[in-house]
Amino acid sequence: MSQALSTVTAPDALPDRGAGGTLTTDFAGRPEDLFRLSLKTGALTVLTLGFYRFWMKTRLRRWYWSAVRPGGIGLEYTGLPAEKLLGFLIAVVILAFYIGVVNLILMFASYALLAQNGAAYAISLAGVVPLWFFARYRARRYVLARTRWRGIRFGMQPGAWGYAGRALVHWAVTILTLGALWPRMTFALEKYRTDRTFYGSARLTQGGRWQMLMPQFVHALTGGGLSALSALVAYLDHPSFGWLLTLTIPWLGYGVCHYIAGSTRVMADHKTAEGISLVSAIRPQRVARIYLFGTLGAAGIIAAPLVVLGLSALAVETNRAALAAIPSWAFALVGAMVYFAVFLAWATLRHVFVLMPLWRHYAETLTVRGAEAVGTVRQRTPDGSTEAEGFAEALDVGAAI
Amino acid sequence: MTTLIGVGTRLGIVAFDALHVDGRRAQPTRVRLRFDDAGQRLTSDSGLRWPFADLRALRDQADPARVILRLAGNGTERLMLSDPEAIRLIRTRAPDLWKRPPVPGLWRLWAWAGAAMASVALIIFVLIPVMADQLARFIPPRGERALGEATFQQVRRALDQRGVGGLRVCTRPEGRAALDNLVARLTDEADLPAELTVHVLDSELVNAFALPGGIVVLFDGLIDAAGTPEEVAAVLAHEIGHVAARDPTRIALRSAGSIGVLGLLLGDFAGGAVVLFLANQVIQADYSRQAEAAADAYAGDLLVEAGLPPSAIADFFQRLQARGGEPAGLLVHLRSHPALGDRIAAARDRDPGSAALPPALTEAQWQALRSICP
Repeated sequence: MSQALSTVTAPDALPDRGAGGTLTTDFAGRPEDLFRLSLKTGALTVLTLGFYRFWMKTRLRRWYWSAVRPGGIGLEYTGLPAEKLLGFLIAVVILAFYIGVVNLILMFASYALLAQNGAAYAISLAGVVPLWFFARYRARRYVLARTRWRGIRFGMQPGAWGYAGRALVHWAVTILTLGALWPRMTFALEKYRTDRTFYGSARLTQGGRWQMLMPQFVHALTGGGLSALSALVAYLDHPSFGWLLTLTIPWLGYGVCHYIAGSTRVMADHKTAEGISLVSAIRPQRVARIYLFGTLGAAGIIAAPLVVLGLSALAVETNRAALAAIPSWAFALVGAMVYFAVFLAWATLRHVFVLMPLWRHYAETLTVRGAEAVGTVRQRTPDGSTEAEGFAEALDVGAAI
Repeated sequence: MTTLIGVGTRLGIVAFDALHVDGRRAQPTRVRLRFDDAGQRLTSDSGLRWPFADLRALRDQADPARVILRLAGNGTERLMLSDPEAIRLIRTRAPDLWKRPPVPGLWRLWAWAGAAMASVALIIFVLIPVMADQLARFIPPRGERALGEATFQQVRRALDQRGVGGLRVCTRPEGRAALDNLVARLTDEADLPAELTVHVLDSELVNAFALPGGIVVLFDGLIDAAGTPEEVAAVLAHEIGHVAARDPTRIALRSAGSIGVLGLLLGDFAGGAVVLFLANQVIQADYSRQAEAAADAYAGDLLVEAGLPPSAIADFFQRLQARGGEPAGLLVHLRSHPALGDRIAAARDRDPGSAALPPALTEAQWQALRSICP
């Protein structure tokens, strides 16, 4: 009886409806579970020569999505591994032609006209850049179309080529102004994406203006400006000024990190959707700490056994006779195993030490206002596009997961 | 809240709370669910009827204390449960709770997989070789030379297993002089599209290969394995035959096209392996049968012109066969073309008699060449 009664007193862990019209967000994931999932799926990816990566991505996303719970209800990721594989295959058919044939012609032209291959690489890279932006938009559209919250789909209107065109212009302007107009680009591109995003029947709107991002950009601008100045003075006149770079470059690094986190927060604060709005309290210093110490921690854990391995290899190296007794295929085997083990360990530890803490911070600092308005949102029809994120996958466009 | 009802001595819950989203509005509602064991389904006062057999749980969820149920198929309805006892009871009742959804559009997937493989194969095995062969004719000597130099550096780096700056080029002056002597004797009469440059690389591999722009590379291992300077001369003559026909330019252009395609397929995680593989392709130089036969014929003429025995290649091959081990590059070609042996035997018959010929190198020069890598 007492055993059965214990279930009666089990706490009711289901969330209530938003009190007072605001929904806070919690993060429900534990690092040990993520470690296990990432290690298992990563090992399968290595063993299948990369084939399993579509399954790995899907399973990790399901985990991360379900851990982020605005108002206590987790997001749901409904993407399928098979559709990612299909999208990848479609992209391969198109890109193989472009990359194989176009690269060959460029390589030929470059050698025939200039007797070197630098130009070919440059032109070939320039040819892929628009595709890269195109792929980013498509990837975001796919991920949104496969995300649900409270059973309602997100979605994004088509517009990848428009995005690629705008991104090219904004990048050109940013580069020509030596980075000073970066916030203008951030704002314009995020507004383009947000204004085409839907939560069910509710259309999202990006408010505000690009100047509001400037305060977040101060550190990056100062660090960058001082780095350029120090380098210039050191180069032109006083080489001793070079040591200043050891201070200004870390400043620039922090500045970029501060800007990415800070601009995300400001942009989130100005996103609305028919009575719903977001409030974010992301702390850029916290984000910088996660990046720094998370990366150092992961690298340290990987480096420790490698140092031991290196030292023992050095010890063997001094003993030529023992070395000769080991066949060369054994060296190749050990080398390949170390390569894949480092690859796997890095991917797994990066999740546990960097990505998950970041996601947790971003989630826990997010509040949804206008909970009553959320309840009136209606379902949207599914987005049946078949290419998934194939181009992004094939071009290796850096997505976090 | 959980309601407990005692049935005789057995206790079990019959009703529990869950959160229901209907997939039409973003408004979760709290529902009271019951196990209808007679009807083999979950029921609610609000009218939900979910058969046990159709219950599925979402996989890879972060919170192990919560189960989210859906119905088999593509529906958007969900039930969120966090009552441990209710979850335990559902696990015992739903037979296919963790069944994976069927893969939709499987035939399309296979069709595209086939199309992708076919297009990649078409591009790598047909389009790129055909284009490379055409383009190789039009590349000017200066560009060809640059392509050869770039490929040479790539091969040196790729073959250096210790990973420091690439394989060493052997340049000991006495050995170099002997090699130059041998090359000069071979090419005095030859009409080559580019000036010949012969390098010796410090590697134990028994192999030799030609690169665009008249670059021929011998591995030190091949010089060690050869019994006489005539055997080295015969191998050199064969590679010069490829240079004369500009075969390496075709191969290098081919690999320039293929490298991107293979990198695309495998992703960055095996990128390093692709570069290695392609560098290997260059030195293994899988030339066509006609190209090899042409190089052999060219080499035969070159050797006879220079007063050297063409049959030395056969001696060299027999020596390597006797030694055993994995054949590579040139030797694979020798092994896979048995007719070649016959032709060499024929060449041997037509030899003016090696005793009458001056040797390719003096004994002192030969020893110098053998120790070109200090």
